[in-house]
Amino acid sequence: MDVPVQRVVRPRTLDEALVMLAEQPRSRPIAGGTDLMVQLRDGRRSADTLVDLDGLDLAGVHEVDLGVEIGAATTMDAIARHPLVRRRWPALAEAAALVGAWPIQCRATLGGNLANASPAADAVPPLLVADAAVRLASPSGERTIALERFFRGPGTTVMAPGELIVAVLLPAPSAGRVVERFVKVGPRREQIISMVSLAGRAVVSADGTLHDVRVALGAVAPIPVRARRVEAHLEGRRPDAATRREAAARLQADIAPIDDLRAPAAYRRIAAAVLLDRFLEACHG
Amino acid sequence: MGEDRRQAARAPEVERVRIRLTINGEARGFEVAAGRRLLDLLRDDAGLIGTKEGCGAGECGACTVLLDGKPVTSCLVLAASCDGHAVTTVEGLGGSPGTMHPFQRALVTHGGVQCGFCTPGVAVTGAAILAGGHQPAEGARLLAGNLCRCTGYEKIFSALEAAAEEVRRDE
Amino acid sequence: MTSHLEPVPGPLGGRHPRIDAAAKVTGSTRYVADLALPGMLHAALATATVASARVLGVDTAAARAHADVVAVLTAADVPANSIGVIFGDQPLLVTDRVRMVGDRFALVAARTAEAAWTAARLVGASLEELPGVFDPVAAVADDAPLVNGASNVFRTFHVQRGDTAKQAKRAAVVVEAEYRVGGQDHAYLEPQGCLAIPEGRERITIVASCQCPFYIQQGVASVLGLPLAAVRVEQAPTGGGFGGKEDYPTEPAACAALLAWHTGHPVRLIYPRELDLQATTKRHAMVVRHRWGADRAGRLRFAEVETFMDAGAYVGLSTVVAERANVSAIGPYHVGAVRVATHVVYTNNLFGGAFRGFGAPQVTWAAEATMDKLATRLGMDPVELRRVNVLDDTRRTICTGQRLRTPVLAREVLDRAVELAGWDGFRAAPPAADGAWRHGMGVSLVLYGCNLHWGGQRLDRSSAVVILQADGSVVVRVGLTEMGQGNLTACQTVAAAALGVDPSQVQVWQPDTTTVADSGPTVASRGSLMSGRAILDAVRRLRVRLDPVAAELLGCRPGEVELAGGFARVAGSPERAVAMQAVAKEMSARRIETIATGWHRTKARRFDPATGQGAPYEFYAMACHVARVAVDPGLGIVRVEEVTAAHDVGRVLHRDALEGQIHGGVVQGMGWGVSEELRLDRGRLVNPNFTDYVIPTSADAPRITIALVESDSEAGPCGAKGIGEPSFIPTAAAVRNAVCDALGVEVDTLPLTPPRLVEALGERHPFAWVVEAATRPATEHEPATVGPRA
Repeated sequence: MDVPVQRVVRPRTLDEALVMLAEQPRSRPIAGGTDLMVQLRDGRRSADTLVDLDGLDLAGVHEVDLGVEIGAATTMDAIARHPLVRRRWPALAEAAALVGAWPIQCRATLGGNLANASPAADAVPPLLVADAAVRLASPSGERTIALERFFRGPGTTVMAPGELIVAVLLPAPSAGRVVERFVKVGPRREQIISMVSLAGRAVVSADGTLHDVRVALGAVAPIPVRARRVEAHLEGRRPDAATRREAAARLQADIAPIDDLRAPAAYRRIAAAVLLDRFLEACHG
Repeated sequence: MGEDRRQAARAPEVERVRIRLTINGEARGFEVAAGRRLLDLLRDDAGLIGTKEGCGAGECGACTVLLDGKPVTSCLVLAASCDGHAVTTVEGLGGSPGTMHPFQRALVTHGGVQCGFCTPGVAVTGAAILAGGHQPAEGARLLAGNLCRCTGYEKIFSALEAAAEEVRRDE
Repeated sequence: MTSHLEPVPGPLGGRHPRIDAAAKVTGSTRYVADLALPGMLHAALATATVASARVLGVDTAAARAHADVVAVLTAADVPANSIGVIFGDQPLLVTDRVRMVGDRFALVAARTAEAAWTAARLVGASLEELPGVFDPVAAVADDAPLVNGASNVFRTFHVQRGDTAKQAKRAAVVVEAEYRVGGQDHAYLEPQGCLAIPEGRERITIVASCQCPFYIQQGVASVLGLPLAAVRVEQAPTGGGFGGKEDYPTEPAACAALLAWHTGHPVRLIYPRELDLQATTKRHAMVVRHRWGADRAGRLRFAEVETFMDAGAYVGLSTVVAERANVSAIGPYHVGAVRVATHVVYTNNLFGGAFRGFGAPQVTWAAEATMDKLATRLGMDPVELRRVNVLDDTRRTICTGQRLRTPVLAREVLDRAVELAGWDGFRAAPPAADGAWRHGMGVSLVLYGCNLHWGGQRLDRSSAVVILQADGSVVVRVGLTEMGQGNLTACQTVAAAALGVDPSQVQVWQPDTTTVADSGPTVASRGSLMSGRAILDAVRRLRVRLDPVAAELLGCRPGEVELAGGFARVAGSPERAVAMQAVAKEMSARRIETIATGWHRTKARRFDPATGQGAPYEFYAMACHVARVAVDPGLGIVRVEEVTAAHDVGRVLHRDALEGQIHGGVVQGMGWGVSEELRLDRGRLVNPNFTDYVIPTSADAPRITIALVESDSEAGPCGAKGIGEPSFIPTAAAVRNAVCDALGVEVDTLPLTPPRLVEALGERHPFAWVVEAATRPATEHEPATVGPRA
């Protein structure tokens, strides 16, 4: 059955797209559509006009001065396979290969994953630990905003009406011996929405102390969160048993999970602690 | 009151869009409703009923087709977005009518087909796995979007291995 | 003999391509959603979203006014408003009372599917919500709200054998337990669907995705007030059933038929997946209470079982499911004294129906859990305890007092599975933990009664038609359906073997109620058995006319004719042969009747429903599964790594189809055991999609090793026994026992989801304390924030 929209417009350039989004009432951009098509069908999101981004050149991973820029229309499959991403942001590559199943990964875009603003979005925790920023465009110009400030709640972001995600910027990762992980927990191995997910990244010094520690989690709060208290506690410490235990305790104040049909809050707290502990154990090795 | 209800009940005007795409190697043109899904275009407008609808939400994989060579769930693809692109359905996997893709043949000879409703999607994803240079061992992960409730997947895996072997031999 | 054995010569036990595979794999098979007719309308249903309410009124004006709507029907438009399979406790369209989510208020027919479903949402029902009851134990309380009739306990079935009180005195250990066994959705890939084609007001054809065309025929005839002969039901190629297309499809068929009858147009009804999950029958959730005892040597002295079966708001097939659950509650074990009570209880939950295993999986799950608990209390190996008690040729009386026919292969399947799985080695030296993963192994046995229970004997017959074409090819029609399990291919194999021709010469066509007589339902693993026996009967009758013609061509006596290798030949002199093609041509030339019908019915049996004593089933199949799992106790995640499945199958008809049934049964059983959970909130399913109703994917499939224990069974065609259900029943129990082995805790609730396993570990979980830490007063920890300050 058709999804309930009245019009599709197909801009050829970004500027055209921005004008259409600004001028068409009740319009929404559509790229891969893997979330939006279901939401339109179910009435969870609605639109009169879809602005189809297919004709725009928004896909691709490009090296820039300070890191890379991943175009908003880059698919999860392309990210998961990209050699540079796999080498320097392995948690992101790992997460991209766990978004839905392969046919979803071949269609779903990074920009769509962000715009959808699910608390459980798998690509987000790895981007948070990469200190990613989002480049937004509108007819009045562009702005770049830290990803950590991008989400407002389930399904909502700070984007103004008519604003479009153009790209995600990943600054070059810090040098040194880096441990980086992404793990998600669900009741089956593939094609599952995370009950809890965690991305961790730390530089391990020769003396075993951790620096520039970054931990982010999905599905444990209304938005994906950085575990700032945990990070502060770990800075400069060795992840021994006592430190790990304290980190697990502090983590509980960084997250605010709820009971929902996918998991009870208590499980999410415990599983988040386990994932953090395992990440730190990996840093300890 | 009746008239009011009638007004309220009337569906809003839906615009139609013209699109051109290649389906199974053939250039085709359609004029479809703005909200048309690729799945409905294939089944209802192009008459290619081999692509199945099992959930309409991208969860079961029965509607998987190749879009520019990549597997996608056609229930989540806006038909209008396919303008200028190439689609391959289960009917076109073998390249010409009456010819099966090696994986389709292997599914038949290895008992990989039961109720058959997931089979077109499985065949399409399997063909993409083989075309993409993946190892058959990756099949367990890459086929995870194609739910099958009958086979327990075991004979689908054997078929994929056999087809990979055949493709290797032919190269 | 294992699955790796070379196929025997001829089609029997071989692996020739399935009759339907090439069409399915190229996408040319037409399921019901692929059929359209000129003038065809699309149907939609307006259904209840609350589980218990009084209906004050149904307003269809807005729906009628919607563009492209042709008809909107309510209860007043139904000639005979009752759809229950056995009991008349369910209306097709509700009048005064909503008893479950999914109850229908109105039917819509429109020119497009979009318009039909949109209009259905415009049907307004004014409701006064009533208290409901959502737990089968709570429903039996005196003060529970009544769901449907004078009592929530619709019926209780019993097995009473021996004196359990007396035997209890001889028990050294007693296990008492309460198991909460969850339901399951069939999750066939093709949703419910049908097409109704009216011919004036005289008769109607239904093309349906279904297992039981004769049920639909009866349901539609009854709702429309037509003679059975005026309703023709053709089974469309069916994309999976598992029981979900046994009883339920009569409801959509009756809905489409009504709309077709009223509009005069063909009407197609295809369920959206969400409605399919929300409104169709489910595997029954059960609460199973056990008190079982064994003596020091491990001999089972007594077993008491009380089961509360959540029937939901309508009985449907629940009494029949309860009959099987009732006599399956003890498993293939010899027990001194047995008391079983199985209650069929109304609640306002989604209603239970047929589902692969039919009540046996739930009670097997409980029985096999109790066996492991007894083994633990006795300090015995779980396999050893089973060996002490399992039935065999020397001890073959089941809990109903029925003495089984030999060979009784329960001990054989146990021994084979255990040996193949490496049980002893695993127990002697369990593998070390592998990172977070701990390993466990579990075993489970099942006693499966083949075909229909004594209570359904009247349905246990089957019809077939065999037509020898003039070119020697053969048409076969049967009354039992193909839903993916391979019945068409099994029938093809049996017919080819009986006529001595290559399977490619035999075409078995989809069932149609006008081509064969009522053959009962395609359920209870009876498809191949019952169709096969009827085909053999038809071939026998055909040969009464065929053999004399062949004998004349061969110059021998009719009694000397044998059919093999595509020839009629003289027995003992295979060189004296004439091609079947020539025999067929000759019969055609002489205008000799080349069509024959066949019939099979099971033997009549005695059974006392009051005591559960007698012969509930004609014969039995045994099965044993051993599961090896890895469990991550920190996260509560289970990976089923290998399932070893030993099955007593009689003789193999078609090896790929048989193995396919076992593979599919194991994976579906595993899904039920670990991840598939019907999450009901006051009777409403809150996960009606494949994102949150989690069935196994290819990434979850375990390695499956099959051991077939073959024997000559007199029951089925060519010695075969059913495999559809025995392949499913033991898996979840074996997985449960393996998980408990790995974790060292007992989990008595199914499914074993990650939160449930972590909860079961309780304070033994190294991070259990974080939950309390999180709720400590804010003086110790800063209050939680939900994200960065913008």
